[in-house]
Parts: sequence; structure tokens; C-alpha cells
Amino acid sequence: MKRLLPLLPVFFLFSCGALPVIQSSAVPLREQSFTCPFPFLKKPYRLVQTIETRMAGKTRNVIIGVTLIDPVSRSISCAVLTAEGMVLFEAASTPEELRVTRALPPFDSESFAENMLEDIRLIFLEPQAKLQERGYLSSGERVCRYLKANGDRIDVIQTKALKVEIKRYTSSGTLKRHIMFDKAEEDIYQLIELRASETMDYSLLMTLMEAQPVNTP
Amino acid sequence: MIKRYRFWHLLVCLLGVILLIPDGFCVDDSDFEKLSRESAQIKTLKADFIQKKFMKILAKPLVSEGCFYFVTPDSLRWEYFKPLKSVVIAYRNTTRRYMYSEGKMVEDKTGGAQAMKIVLNEVAGWMSGKFDRNPSFKATIQKKENTLVTLTPVEEKMKGMIERIEITLAPKAGIVKSVKIFEGADNFTQITFNNVKINETIDAAVFREVK
Repeated sequence: MKRLLPLLPVFFLFSCGALPVIQSSAVPLREQSFTCPFPFLKKPYRLVQTIETRMAGKTRNVIIGVTLIDPVSRSISCAVLTAEGMVLFEAASTPEELRVTRALPPFDSESFAENMLEDIRLIFLEPQAKLQERGYLSSGERVCRYLKANGDRIDVIQTKALKVEIKRYTSSGTLKRHIMFDKAEEDIYQLIELRASETMDYSLLMTLMEAQPVNTP
Repeated sequence: MIKRYRFWHLLVCLLGVILLIPDGFCVDDSDFEKLSRESAQIKTLKADFIQKKFMKILAKPLVSEGCFYFVTPDSLRWEYFKPLKSVVIAYRNTTRRYMYSEGKMVEDKTGGAQAMKIVLNEVAGWMSGKFDRNPSFKATIQKKENTLVTLTPVEEKMKGMIERIEITLAPKAGIVKSVKIFEGADNFTQITFNNVKINETIDAAVFREVK
């Protein structure tokens, strides 16, 4: 067994094989303090989006999503509606609890609410995680890597086209979510694509209908 | 999934029937039979509508616009122009839903044939204006400033999705002004109808083609 001990780091290295290497040492000194990309909300907002669900390259459904987010308290309220106005799903979450007030099929599975809120946090809220590393990917893109308490890693990437992408990896390095913001700066939420790697891969194409800043008391 | 589709198909069909209440029809507590008889005079119907969705999470209502077509006995088209383009069409024993994606209308395949069959069975009952004969809803009529028809779901499963439907008719003239569908305490949909045209010719292509 002791003979195997030296191999442990190698094992862990390969088990994290899908996690892209960040070349920290390649960062020129003058750029080592570059600001991490920040696509996240800075103040409370209400967002209304059309959400197109795709599986195997085909559109499965188009729905309307309403999301109310406070980045300070990290509280989220959200609802999913059909084009006809019927509410399929409604929930609210704080760091302490998740409360589902309405969930009709196919949005009534136990994991749906948690996964949906997790995706909303990933897109709109700054990661509650330690900044583990920053540097450049082999493709030359700037990246800041955050390490969550559960071992997941979140890469926030600025592409060469100055667009922002977010990737969430499991602790074993499996890519679970890939979020691409099609626009930059103030129009960043205009068009967002989320690709999910699950048992059945799917993608969501979110087009902004309305964005309203919300005044908190 | 089937439950969801059954609900909104029912809703679309119900709204169609609501529009069949003819001009000049005035209801009281015993008028359901008369309503059914008068509805038989309607052969075709077309109307525009504005839909406002009210929810606690929304600071202002979400506004949708569209139009509705009906030809007896069972051809329906319920179409939204904005903010999301979508169409539900019932024609010759087939109900289909289409949505706008990547520059064209694509058929929603997530409902399943079983749900469509259930819908068609329901349509047959709604089409003759039999508000008080569908076992899924209890119908009552009240006369206030306007005449109010209230439909309350009977089944517990349905109550979880919808609390009640209120249909407001203008006094005397009996023209349908609006429909409110209550899904919860802070959550309701208001549909206001305009440009209602009765017994005008409607091209059958309306129920076959999706542009």
C-alpha cells in the first residue's frame, strides 16, 4: 500500500483531467492583478426572459421566465410561465431555505427546483467561493477559478472577443454547466445560453424581454 | 405533462365557448339552458384579445396580444402574437400547438397524443355553451354592476391549478368584456376581448396553416 502512496497525486491529477489547466506562471507580472470578469448582478433586478429549451438540437418548448434577484441578500424569487400565461413553477429561495409554491409537471420533480435555483445563482450571483486561481487557459483566454466548499469549481472566463463565459465543474472535474453571454458589458443579459451536461443533455437559450432595477427598502 | 396540457387546452376551449355568448343575451340564475340555445346561433367567430398576467413577482402585468377564431362544430385557433408567438389549433379531431423558434413556427411535441384526445372529448362539451354541464366545473351566475359567470373547479387536482374563472358580461348588451382566471391569491390572468365578429366567413386555412 505504501508503494502506492506516491501514485496518489497522479491518480488525483488524472481524475481531474477534464478541468482545464490554468497557466498562472504565464501571466506577465504587470497583468497578474487583472480584474476577474464579473458578469454578475451588483444590485437587485427583476428580469423577464423567454427561455427556449433544446434537446438533441431540437427546440422542445418555449416558456417565459421571471426572476427577481437580490445579490446582497442572495435571495431569489422565480416563476416559469407558458406563452398562454399559465404558471408552471414558482419558488423563492434564500441562503437558508428553498420554498416551492407551485410546481406542475414536468417541473414537479424533487431535483428540478434545486437545480433551477442553482443555475440562476450560477448565472447572476457572484460565486460564494474562494478565488483559487487566475491566469490564462491554453487558448489564451483570461480565467478566474473559484473553489466552492463542496469541491466544485467555477471558471469565469473572458473570451478573446471580450465576451464572458462561466463553466461549472464537479470536484472530479466533470463539466456540468457552460454559460455563454452573447453580449458584453451593459447588454450582457440580452442573450444567454446555458448548456447542461446531465443524463439527458439540454440547453436553454434565454432572451431578455425586460430588465428592471428593484429598489430594496 | 398530460395534466398541464389538459388544463391549458381546456382553458383555450373554455375561452372559445365564452366568446360564443351572443350579443343581446342577458343571463340570470336560470339562464344556462337559454345560453346553450342562443349559442347554437353562432356559426363562426373571430376576436382579438389582450391578456394581462398579474403576479406578485411582477411589478407590472405581463401583457400578451393575440386573436381567436372559431368555426362550428370544433375548429379553433388561439394565437398569441407577442411577446411569445404561439398557436393552438384544433381541427378535424386533431389539436396541435406551435411555437416560434429560430425564425419559424415549430410544433410542440411534448404533449402527446393522449392529452390531445382528452382535450377533444372536453371540447365537445364546451362547444355547445353548456357551462353548467361540464362535471369539471361548477357554474354560477351573479348580477352585479355587470353580469358575472363564475366557474369553480370541482376536482381537487384541478383546484391545485386553478381557483376559479370569472367571466364578466356587459349589462344588458351581454357582450363578453373580460375573463379572469385565478390560479392563486396573487396570481391571475385577465383577458379582454375586442373586435368580436360573429358569423363572418373564416377561411378553413386558418385552421390548417401556421405561418
